[in-house]
Amino acid sequence: MENKNDTRKENIQKLLLRLELWFAPVLIIVPIGASLFFLWDWYVRGFSTGSSLYDGELLIGLLLLIGNLMFDIFFLRSLRILKKK
Amino acid sequence: MFFSEMTTRDAFKLTKKKMTEYQTEFLERMNAIEVDAHWFRRVFHTFAASFLFYYLLPDEEWINSVKIVLPVIIVLCMVVVEYRRIRGDLDHQRFFGLRNYEKKRPASYLYFGVGVLILFLLFPQQIAIPCILCASFTDPIIGESRYYLGKKRAYAIGFVISAFFFLVTWYRADGWALILVSLLGATGAVIGEARKLKFVDDDFMIQMAPAILLLLMWQGLLAMGINMLPPPLLHPL
Repeated sequence: MENKNDTRKENIQKLLLRLELWFAPVLIIVPIGASLFFLWDWYVRGFSTGSSLYDGELLIGLLLLIGNLMFDIFFLRSLRILKKK
Repeated sequence: MFFSEMTTRDAFKLTKKKMTEYQTEFLERMNAIEVDAHWFRRVFHTFAASFLFYYLLPDEEWINSVKIVLPVIIVLCMVVVEYRRIRGDLDHQRFFGLRNYEKKRPASYLYFGVGVLILFLLFPQQIAIPCILCASFTDPIIGESRYYLGKKRAYAIGFVISAFFFLVTWYRADGWALILVSLLGATGAVIGEARKLKFVDDDFMIQMAPAILLLLMWQGLLAMGINMLPPPLLHPL
């Protein structure tokens, strides 16, 4: 029982030290969230009022979304491959 | 029959045991995941583009103060962390994805942060936005292309991508300004990326080189009575 507890504590300590595992979800979720917010902002202030003033929000939203998704796919794929190994 | 004979205490013990087993298995699975440092660095770059959210923050007095103070505090914290890491107070191994040459000098994330801070505080958003996009996307695209296509083609692709970012963000400018800014900005970004300096990282240079070139051009033309700057691209909430 004590051995099991030690292994668990060791695993928790290891996990806490692996900052990359904590960062990974943030690196994926935050840019997608930000890009969706840009798109939502364009829809609410620009599209629904018929104003082209907010087209910049649309452009930046799309750039953020496409750019990040492109790299996220490779990043997630690399995680899976290493997991298999 | 089994459940009726089981006391509450036994049920609690059994649940606890199952939970512990599940937790141990979950922790082991998590620890088994390996993160590829190469793609981790690339995704870190693209993540930085979300800092453009800064320009959506409302234009109120107290928020304007926060817009100055908060980025400065974040960068100062990064400076302290890097100082302690280089001195050896913090274990180098804890900084995932650092390159070998970053062991004894500030890591590239600090240069990136300082570059973004300077752009936020000292440059108009029309210049800052495409420069941040170049650092976030052009840099990793050049890095990947260099690996598959060689240096020359990678820089050519980098030039086209950077020019695209300047075209998109300056689309409201006059035609001549649009072309001039795209060519000058893209040239600055590629030079900033290609010129490897000993003490200054390319993550800083890819932002600052086009920004300074455009600032000089803008101010020079302004002195002649021509304002080439288009209206702001992003509007505070």
